[in-house]
Amino acid sequence: MFQNRAEAFALVLPAAVFAGVTFLVPVVVLLSEGFRGADGWTIQAYIDFFSHPLNRTVFVRTLKLAAMVTAVAAVIGYAAAFAIVNLPPKGKGRMIGLVVLPLMISPVARTYAWIVILGRTGIVNQALTSIGLSDEPIRFLFTETAVFIGLLQLFLPLMIISLVSALENMPRDAVPAARVLGANWFQVFWKVILPLTREGLVIGGTLVFTGSMTAYITPAILGGSKVLMLETLLYQRVTVANDFVAASVIALILIVMAFAANLLLKRLATARNKR
Amino acid sequence: MSDSRYLSLEKLTLSYGNTIAVGDMNLDIGKGELVALLGPSGCGKTTTMRAIAGLLQPTSGTIRLDGVDVTRVSANKRAVGLVFQSYALFPHLNVFENVAFGLRLKGIRGRDLENRVEGGLKTVGLSDFASRKPAELSGGQQQRVSLARSMVMEPKVLLLDEPLSNLDARLRLEMRAELQRVQKQSGITMIFVTHDQVEALALADRIIVMLNGAIEQIGTPEEIYNHPVSPFVADFVGFENVFALENGKMKTTAGMADLSSDAPGGAVGLAWRPSMVALGSGPYQGTVRGSSFAGGTREYLLDTPLGPIKAETDASLAAHEFGAVLNFDLPVAKAAQLSRLG
Repeated sequence: MFQNRAEAFALVLPAAVFAGVTFLVPVVVLLSEGFRGADGWTIQAYIDFFSHPLNRTVFVRTLKLAAMVTAVAAVIGYAAAFAIVNLPPKGKGRMIGLVVLPLMISPVARTYAWIVILGRTGIVNQALTSIGLSDEPIRFLFTETAVFIGLLQLFLPLMIISLVSALENMPRDAVPAARVLGANWFQVFWKVILPLTREGLVIGGTLVFTGSMTAYITPAILGGSKVLMLETLLYQRVTVANDFVAASVIALILIVMAFAANLLLKRLATARNKR
Repeated sequence: MSDSRYLSLEKLTLSYGNTIAVGDMNLDIGKGELVALLGPSGCGKTTTMRAIAGLLQPTSGTIRLDGVDVTRVSANKRAVGLVFQSYALFPHLNVFENVAFGLRLKGIRGRDLENRVEGGLKTVGLSDFASRKPAELSGGQQQRVSLARSMVMEPKVLLLDEPLSNLDARLRLEMRAELQRVQKQSGITMIFVTHDQVEALALADRIIVMLNGAIEQIGTPEEIYNHPVSPFVADFVGFENVFALENGKMKTTAGMADLSSDAPGGAVGLAWRPSMVALGSGPYQGTVRGSSFAGGTREYLLDTPLGPIKAETDASLAAHEFGAVLNFDLPVAKAAQLSRLG
């Protein structure tokens, strides 16, 4: 398309300069902060971080919640996506519209809506006490469960959309062909649908996992300081303690985990497929 | 259980919402028969086939296979094979694993599995392709893998959806011969769906012509080709000049017209192929409105008091000019006699 590489380079240059100045440089500066010691480079900050029990708890909790949200989103997502792609075209469009709708509402508003539902005087507690299932309000807010529900609701649409497009790209008759060849629905899923939609699952899974791990608003509002996650811990380290070294450590951990999750999901998805 | 009722559909009705795709259909198919379901798109032939395979649940009626009512038996337990129009090979599996797919589900393993898959691939001449992926095969080869994948399951009935429609003309002839050979060799009961009468005539022992969700005519290829019973079937197999009869006269757009000889008893309509129209002499007159050269023959469209008439002559005869007025005859003795008009 281009006469020489210089032309292509010239076109990319403005974007590259902007991204470099505003993104790459600050990230490198911030991350190098975590490796700087009194006498040269060191990983002491990382050793310090993980030797602190609270930090370990937060690290494990973040991984656990992100993994659980991803797993549950995958299960619910496959069921919903399978139903959606089998709808007639008009209904399909409407359902996808409904799935995408929450993405158009600010996550702050969506998360505060959970307080209306799960709070001490919220809808769930009023229902439970009025029918006598519970004598006093149950505490839902500031628990891991609340954060889990909030994150699931926040990221489920991304999983559904990824799986819908993956299912739609599957050869049209692959499922009926497997049925006629003797596969029950469980076998149809494991031997045909899963291997043929694995790219959608990897994309959806990566989006949900990294999204859950790096979400700030939802754990801040629904978990508060009782259920700290890496992201809320990072914010706390900076604003409360002015501790940029710890912030740098947490930031790198989050980046590494995101890449690791993507690689792991790819592995899992392809391993199924080898024979 | 007699062999002539190996597969029977009894009052089979299938509907999508309020639309009836197949209505009250009765059909018996014998063991080892090669049957064509022939009809235009939307006639219900594919729907019927999917119902036999168990992929669609009938609204009412019964499907019996080998003496057993299978109406409520799900697709994976029916022992019916289906070769899809799109072939529906599994793109993530190689040819060997595609053919082995159903056998593995049956719990067949090891040497036995290899023998049966290799046997299936040999039958369709693809032994050397076992390790290829479907995307590396031509359309004809994919078709044969799909056939082998169904055959190795030893189904009671093998269904084929438009088996030749995605192939080019040359491959189509090859595959047609292949299907006949495989069917004769295995003695399997085969039903194939097609919209192409040439394909149905060439392949089938028996043809079932369908229209609007109902059977229009059942017969051998000779019967269907020479003795269509309704205007639709007549037109479909090339009797393009169709007239209803009333009191021994032809009903035309311009009123009643005399036949050139006495009407046969019992017929409610007559139909002529373009080649049966005798150009040059006869009681009728028409003006040439169009002509086209078709290799061995020349086709004419005539404007006549009877309405438009299609005629055909040997191409070696001198061509008639556009606008020429010609005498012609519709010989009653040659016409197909229709027994119903609906």
